[in-house]
Amino acid sequence: MDTEQQSQQAQAAGEFEREPVPKNALLGFKSFIGMYAGEHCAGTELMIGPLFVAAGVSAFDLIVGLLVGNALAVLSWMFLCAPIATRSRLTLYYQLEKICGRKLVTLYNLANGVMFCFLAGAMVTVSATAVGVWFKFPMPALTDRLPNSVGWVVAVAVVGGLIAIVAAYGYKTVAKFANVASPWMVLVFLAFGFVGLREFIVATNTEIHSMGDVWMLAKTHIWKGGEPLPGQVKFTIWHVMFFAWFCNMAMHIGMSDLSVFRFARKSWYAIATSAGMYVGHFMAWISAAILYAYQLHLDPADTDVLPGPLAYRAAGLAGLLCVIIAGWTTANPTIYRAGLAFQALSPKSSRFKVTLITGAIATIAGMFPAIAMKLLGFVALYGLILMPMGAVIFVDFWLIRKFGMQSSYAELSGKTFNWAAGLAWFVTLGIAWVLVKFAGVQIFFVSLPGWFVAAILYIVLSKFYQKQLRPAAAQ
Amino acid sequence: MRPILQIVSLLALIALTLPSAVFLAGRTELNMVKWLMLLATIVWFVTATPWMWKDNGS
Repeated sequence: MDTEQQSQQAQAAGEFEREPVPKNALLGFKSFIGMYAGEHCAGTELMIGPLFVAAGVSAFDLIVGLLVGNALAVLSWMFLCAPIATRSRLTLYYQLEKICGRKLVTLYNLANGVMFCFLAGAMVTVSATAVGVWFKFPMPALTDRLPNSVGWVVAVAVVGGLIAIVAAYGYKTVAKFANVASPWMVLVFLAFGFVGLREFIVATNTEIHSMGDVWMLAKTHIWKGGEPLPGQVKFTIWHVMFFAWFCNMAMHIGMSDLSVFRFARKSWYAIATSAGMYVGHFMAWISAAILYAYQLHLDPADTDVLPGPLAYRAAGLAGLLCVIIAGWTTANPTIYRAGLAFQALSPKSSRFKVTLITGAIATIAGMFPAIAMKLLGFVALYGLILMPMGAVIFVDFWLIRKFGMQSSYAELSGKTFNWAAGLAWFVTLGIAWVLVKFAGVQIFFVSLPGWFVAAILYIVLSKFYQKQLRPAAAQ
Repeated sequence: MRPILQIVSLLALIALTLPSAVFLAGRTELNMVKWLMLLATIVWFVTATPWMWKDNGS
């Protein structure tokens, strides 16, 4: 998951916030490689990998699903997000404000802030599992939805409280520390994979002479497929592929990374996202999955997904530090950014207080293991909620003038709430909800048709809306 | 000083990864891997922080 990236966006937001990025501020290809490679190795990877195993995924479905899904994510950055970013060179928020108007952007900020709060809560949960290794209090099980012990609540409160205070006081310092930690974290994840694989080889008495032997071990012992664990959705190749494609949907198809790629000299620089995808969303997920599969291999009844104990067993104190730092450095910018989003609702309120309150909400959310244990579904929901606005931006930038209408209509008409964009957003989410609730479509698959629904709705509604308002705007 | 710190931090990253690779090959014990990883972690943060902090625009 990329949340550190959000910190970069937040930093970038201070520059050229309401103007195109000038030529002399553009960045080279290498800047984007480094940024994405480190940023997608976050605390939540330690949950996602094991949850794939809990979902009963098979080796072929996992590996091929991740290869294809991550490639689709990279292509989405390259062909949907970056071409607009390098042409308009505006932040997501300014681009949206021109199209949707200030009030609708504020609503978008609110939705974004709420989702960030819950995501930060999951990261606090991940870090708190490391505390449990030391203090031995009962930690949540895979099926737990509510806090299950006083020790757990206290641990999350302390970890979340510290993260919130640091985010409020020294957000930029932690962002810099995250950059120092990122190469180290990537390699600790790689070590998790090596250690887990060796433990499997020993535990199963497997003779490894070729890659074929490794593949056989993976198929028969690590990712065996079959039924998911209780309370989990069964994952097939389609689930893995769509999850890998859409887990960062808010960033590529949802256009959040317009704020990042507006600094790119060329749109093809977005291929740099492949460094993040194949390090964080391939290697790190696979490594974390191996550790959890080994835990299940030793004791099939031990289904708890607890990154702290998993990492400690594999890499000792270095592993435990990795869990704490990965959770902390990714929750920090997430809380900060959620605070910024909420502050947009009341610009006069103190950023310090807003960040603290946001951190408190994230901490309370982190006490409920439901979010972390259902992270696969939550991440899909996060992408889905923000996706329709990406479709609106895409249509407004490339298509709407071909239909005889104006792009950036809110800016031209002076409207603060573009109802065509707003309705496209709400109705798309309503349709998605109906499909999930009543038509049996799983949340992982609903975003793809949802994008087309949002795009078509925006065109059709704009036809009525712009016709109705154009005379008034012209006066 | 900076080139020395950069070289040592690079070596720390190698030292962080190598023990687990050797463990995968069945040539060392897991306890040794854990200690070496902790040592490499300390060296990395001590040597990489000064130059990476500056690179990040302190």
